[in-house]
Amino acid sequence: MLSGRGLAKRYGEQVALAGVDIDIHTAEALAVVGPSGSGKTTLLHVLAGILRPDGGTITLHGQRIEQLSETKRSELRRTEFGFVFQQGMLVAELSAEENVALPMLLGGARRKDAIAAAREWLGRLGLAGREAARPGELSGGQAQRVAIARALTHRPKVIFADEPTGALDTVTGGDTMNALLSAASEAGTAVVIVTHDVELAGSLPRSVVIRDGRIAEQVGVRR
Amino acid sequence: MIPVQLAFKVLRADRRTRTATALTALGVAVATGLVLLLLSLPFATQARAERAVWQEPYGSQGDGPPTLLVEASTDFTGGEQIDRIDVAALADGIELPDGVPELPGQGEVLVSPALYQAINRLPAEQLADRFPGTIIGTLGDDALRFPEQMVAVVGHSPDRMPSTANERAGFVPASAAEVDPVLSLLAGVGVVVLLVPSLVLVASSARLIAARRERRLAALRLAGATPRQVVTITAAETGIAAVVGALLGWAVSPLLRMLAGLVPWDGGGWMAGDFRVPAGLTALVLVVVPVLVVLAAVLGLRRVVNNPVGAVVEHTPKPLRWWRLLALPAAGLFFFVAIDRGDDATMVLLGLALMIGSAILVGPYVTSVIGGFFVQRWRKPSGLLAGRRLRNDPRGAYRASAGVVLAVFTGSMALTLMPSFDAMAGGGGTYRDSVLMVESAGERAGEIADRTNAALARYGVANRAIAIPEVVLQTGGNSGYFALVMTCEDAVSVFRVQDGCDGPGVYSDDLTDVDGLQVSGSYQGQGVPLPPDTPVKPITQTDSDGSPPVIVDPSLLPAGITAEDGRVVVDTAGANPEVVRTALLGAADGASIYSRGVYLGGQHDQLDDLRRVTIIGVTVAAVLAGCSAAIATAGSVMDRRRTLGALMAAGTPTNVLARALRMEAALPALVATIGSGLLGMIAGLGLFSLFQEGKDNVAAVLSPWLAAPVVLGFAVALLAASVCTPALNRVRAEPLADE
Repeated sequence: MLSGRGLAKRYGEQVALAGVDIDIHTAEALAVVGPSGSGKTTLLHVLAGILRPDGGTITLHGQRIEQLSETKRSELRRTEFGFVFQQGMLVAELSAEENVALPMLLGGARRKDAIAAAREWLGRLGLAGREAARPGELSGGQAQRVAIARALTHRPKVIFADEPTGALDTVTGGDTMNALLSAASEAGTAVVIVTHDVELAGSLPRSVVIRDGRIAEQVGVRR
Repeated sequence: MIPVQLAFKVLRADRRTRTATALTALGVAVATGLVLLLLSLPFATQARAERAVWQEPYGSQGDGPPTLLVEASTDFTGGEQIDRIDVAALADGIELPDGVPELPGQGEVLVSPALYQAINRLPAEQLADRFPGTIIGTLGDDALRFPEQMVAVVGHSPDRMPSTANERAGFVPASAAEVDPVLSLLAGVGVVVLLVPSLVLVASSARLIAARRERRLAALRLAGATPRQVVTITAAETGIAAVVGALLGWAVSPLLRMLAGLVPWDGGGWMAGDFRVPAGLTALVLVVVPVLVVLAAVLGLRRVVNNPVGAVVEHTPKPLRWWRLLALPAAGLFFFVAIDRGDDATMVLLGLALMIGSAILVGPYVTSVIGGFFVQRWRKPSGLLAGRRLRNDPRGAYRASAGVVLAVFTGSMALTLMPSFDAMAGGGGTYRDSVLMVESAGERAGEIADRTNAALARYGVANRAIAIPEVVLQTGGNSGYFALVMTCEDAVSVFRVQDGCDGPGVYSDDLTDVDGLQVSGSYQGQGVPLPPDTPVKPITQTDSDGSPPVIVDPSLLPAGITAEDGRVVVDTAGANPEVVRTALLGAADGASIYSRGVYLGGQHDQLDDLRRVTIIGVTVAAVLAGCSAAIATAGSVMDRRRTLGALMAAGTPTNVLARALRMEAALPALVATIGSGLLGMIAGLGLFSLFQEGKDNVAAVLSPWLAAPVVLGFAVALLAASVCTPALNRVRAEPLADE
C-alpha cells in the first residue's frame, strides 16, 4: 500500500536516511526501532510526507507522493494518514471532542457529523463522559487516547505514531497501545509505530531495526 | 551572580530569546525616547517664552524709578507676523535682555535676521517704510521666540512715543515668562495617549517568549530553584533588555528632539536647545522605565512562583468577572465631573488617562464574551479555534488590540475636536476681509487718514483712508449704543453689509427710532439730542457672523460733539495690501493694524498647528499600535508553535490556521475599535465643552469622518494580524522541530 524505495535524507553533513526500502501493508502494525539518532523519526516523517526526501521514491497505492506540492501532501496527510505524537499535541483551548472533530472539520465536514464521529470514537476508546474536558484536565493516558481518536476519526489508511507511549508509565502505556492497535485493527488501518521500547516492538507482528540511516534488520512477517 | 550568568547563557544559546530580547529592548527604547521627548515639551515652550518675554510691554518689573517706555504691537507681511516693540530710554544703564545688542535711540531700529532679510527682499513701500530710521543691528537668537521670528525694535525719544506706551523699570525679566497653556495641555494629552501604546509595545515584545520562559523557569523550580531565585533570573533577563533599551532610547532622543524641532507651532519652529530635559528628570526616566518593565515581568510570574507544576501542564484559566465593566462608567464619571468643574487641567488629564486605562479591564472581558459567543455559534474550524482562544485567553487576545484601541480612541477624539474647532472659528467683526483698520484717539483719526492718503498717493495707490469718529447714542444711566460716524456709502464699502443706502440717517439693524437718545463723544460725555425727525433706516449684514454697528451720517451729528475715540479704515481691494499697510502703519506711528483677513488667517494657522500635531500624534500611536499587534500575533504563533506544528504535520492547511489566527485578532479588534471610537468621540465632546465656554451658539460637529479611525484601526489590526502567515510558514518549514 505504502512503499518507500531508496529513501535518503541529510541534515547538512549528517546523514539521517541512507537508502531505505520499506513497505507498509494494509491494516498491518509495524514497529520501527533503533537507537537515538538512527533515523527512525525521519523515516516516519518522510513516509508521511511531512519531510520531502533528498532521494528515493514513496508511493501510496502506486501513486508517487514525494513529488507532490506541499498543499497536495497536506491534503494527503489530512485524508489518508493519521498522527499520534509523544505529547499528544492537542489544541489546549479545545475540548476533547472538539480536538477529535478537528481533522474532519478542517476537511469540510459538517459540525454535527464531525462532533458525532468524535463522540463515537471517544466512546470506543473509553472516554465517554470526558468529551467536554480540556487537555489540561485529562491524564496523560487519556490525552493520548484523545490523540488516537483524533487520528482515527477520518478513517485514515495509515496511522503514524511517534513514541506514543514515551511519556506514559508502563501500565498506562500498555493500555494506550492496546487501545491504538485494537481501534486501528477495527478500522482496517495500518499503524507505523516509532519506539525505543523493544518489548513493545516485540509484541507487534513485524518490526524493522534502523541503524545509521539504514534498515539493519527486519523481524517477523506480514500478518 | 548566577541569575545574571544564566540570563546571558540563555541569551547566547537561544536565537528566539535573542530576538525577543532585541524586540523588548527596541520597545523600551521607543517608549523611553517618546517619554523623554514628551517631557521636554513643557521645557521647550518655557524656553521659548523666556526668550521672548522681554517683548511684552506689561508684566513683572524691578523696583525703582521707570527707566524706559515700551509699547508693543503686531504687524503682518505676507501673512507672517511681525512683532514690533517701540522703546524710548528714560535713563541710562538699562539692563538689556539676552540677544539685544543695544537699545536703539531715536531714529534707530534693531531687527531680527528674518525681518532683515524680508526688508532687503521687498520694495521699501511694502515693508521698510514701516520702520522709521536706520537699521543699526540685528537681534540674536536669545532674543527671539523662534529662529524665524520677525521682530523690530524701534527707538524713539520719550516725547515721540505713542501715548499708550507703558512706563517700566526695565524689560520684563525671563523669570516672569509663562508657558503656553494650550501646548502644555497638548503635551499632557500626548503623554497619556502615546505612553500607553509605547508600554503596550514593550509588553507585546516581552510576551514573545513568555510561554517559553515560563516553561524554563518551571523546570528550574522543579530542579529546586526558590521563588526568589526565579524572580531574580527573570529580573536579570528582562533587566538586560530594559536597561539596554532605555539607554538606546536616551541615545536616540536627541534625534527625536531634532525631528520635533522641525514641527512649527504658533508661527515658527524651535531653537536647537529648546527640547531639553533636566539631567535629574532624565536619570529618573532611565531608572523608572526599566524598573516598570522588570516589575511587569516579575508580576507575570505568579503562576510559576506559586506552583511550578501548574506552569508546565496546561491549565484552565479562571473566567473574567463582569465587574470589570464598571471601570468604564466609573472613569467616565470622573472625567465628566472634572470637565464640569473645568478648573483643573490635571484632573481632566487624569480622567482621560482613567478612561484609557479602563479599557485594560473592560477590553479582555468583552473579548471573552465575544469568544463565548463564537464557541456557541461556530460554523467553521477557524471560528471554533478563534472563539476558544478568545474565551480561554482573553487577556492575551486583547493585548494584540490594545494599542489599536488607543490609536482609534485618540483619532476619534481628534476628529470630534477638529471640525468643532473649525465651526468655532470666525468672528473678528463686521469689516470686509480686505479692510485694514487702526484705532486712534478721536482727534488724531483725521490726521492719520490724511497722512495715510498722502503716503498712498506717493506710492501711486488709488485707495483712500477714511477717518471714523466713534460716538455713543446714550439711552440714559451710563448705557447706550456705540455708533460710527460715517456715510452709509462708506459703511457699505468697508463693512459686510447690503447696499441699502437711502440718504442720510441713522442706520441700524436694531434701533427703530432715536426718540430720547442723545449723542455724545464718550459714555461719560455730555449728551446732545439728535436733530428732530432723524430717520432710522435698516442695515443688514450679508452673513450671520456678527452684527453691523450703528452708523450715524456725519451731517446729522450735532455741533460740538468731540469723539474721544476714533478709527481709520482703508480698503486694500485692488491694491497691494502690503503697500497700503505700510502707508497706514507709517501714519499711525506703528500702532497695531487690525485686519479680519489676518485675524481669520491666524485662526486658520492655529487650527493647522493643532491638526499637524494631532496627525503626528495619531500616526505615531497607530504605528506603535500596528507594531504591538504584529508582535502580539507573532508571539501568539510562537507560544503555540508545538500545537500548530502538530496540526500542520497532520495536514491542516496553513491558510486555515492563518484564517483562524486572523479571526482571533479581528474579532476583538472590531468590537474594540468600534467601542474605542465611540469613547473617543464622547471624550472629544467632553474636551470640546471646555473650549466652548461662553460660545453656547457653537455646537460640536460630528462628521462621517469619525468612522475613519475605526475603519483604519480595524485595517491596521488586520494588517498586523497578517504577520501570522509568515510566522506560520516558519513553523511549516519544520512543523515538528523541537523548540
